[in-house]
Amino acid sequence: MEENQKVLIVPCSGIGKPYGTVSREAAYDVTDELRPGQTQLVPLALLVLGDEESRAAVAGYPAITIDGCKLACAAKMVQQSGGTVIQEIAVLDVYRRHKDLKPLGIAILNEGGQKLARVLAEEVTSLVDVIIDARKAGENA
Amino acid sequence: MTDFLETTLDKFTFKVATDRLYSAEGVWVKVENGHARIGLSDFVQQRSGDVAFAEIKPEGTTLAAGDDLANIETIKVNITYTCPVGGKIVQVNPAMSDAPEAINREPYDAGWLAVMEVADWEVQRARLLDPQAYFEIMKGQAEEETRKS
Repeated sequence: MEENQKVLIVPCSGIGKPYGTVSREAAYDVTDELRPGQTQLVPLALLVLGDEESRAAVAGYPAITIDGCKLACAAKMVQQSGGTVIQEIAVLDVYRRHKDLKPLGIAILNEGGQKLARVLAEEVTSLVDVIIDARKAGENA
Repeated sequence: MTDFLETTLDKFTFKVATDRLYSAEGVWVKVENGHARIGLSDFVQQRSGDVAFAEIKPEGTTLAAGDDLANIETIKVNITYTCPVGGKIVQVNPAMSDAPEAINREPYDAGWLAVMEVADWEVQRARLLDPQAYFEIMKGQAEEETRKS
């Protein structure tokens, strides 16, 4: 995998709400399991701190942000750090499409929350594939 | 143009539209062309959080004041709101099925819940609060919430 085809995944850092936990679980699924070579997790807290490595990552690669509430901290922080948000995802929008997967719990999600995180992870994975394919096509054009 | 009463607590500002009446629960009623448009106050929507789903009783349903009108599921809670007036539901906001976040974005405008045909309006309005009276109740509720958080 060429480095220039990497996509960043930046989840919500909110605590105390199941939707924030869903965003992080989905991000781990994508970056650790589904597309480990093509994606990189960037912790929102490091962007807030101004961590140079994290800021360099968002400056260099497109980011998919996953936010747990309408404050959309992940999307805003990537933009404020000079990055490009190629797709903003709100966990609530995904839940609206999967009403049977109500997330409950915070440190440990219920079954519905775990399934919702997986559905979200698969949606993010599809987006990653589309983004990388588009970049490859652009490079080959 | 709607005017508002406003109060700010901590980082939150809560608005009460002055062109309608309210229940103590925070459900507003605005009479237009002989019908009552019903929705949730700004304080109620902020306290409840981002709305995921809004289920309103269907058109044609006849309700008495105090009957269940709407079940709202947010990222924080599930709440059932009661109808502040009695009558027949003649229209449900179509946005409630596909974009219920309108409740959060525009609680006094696009986020309305239903329109009702209300009998004996003059009798029923006597049970509702004017904006200033609701504003005082809402401030107390907001202060209580702030103390708890």
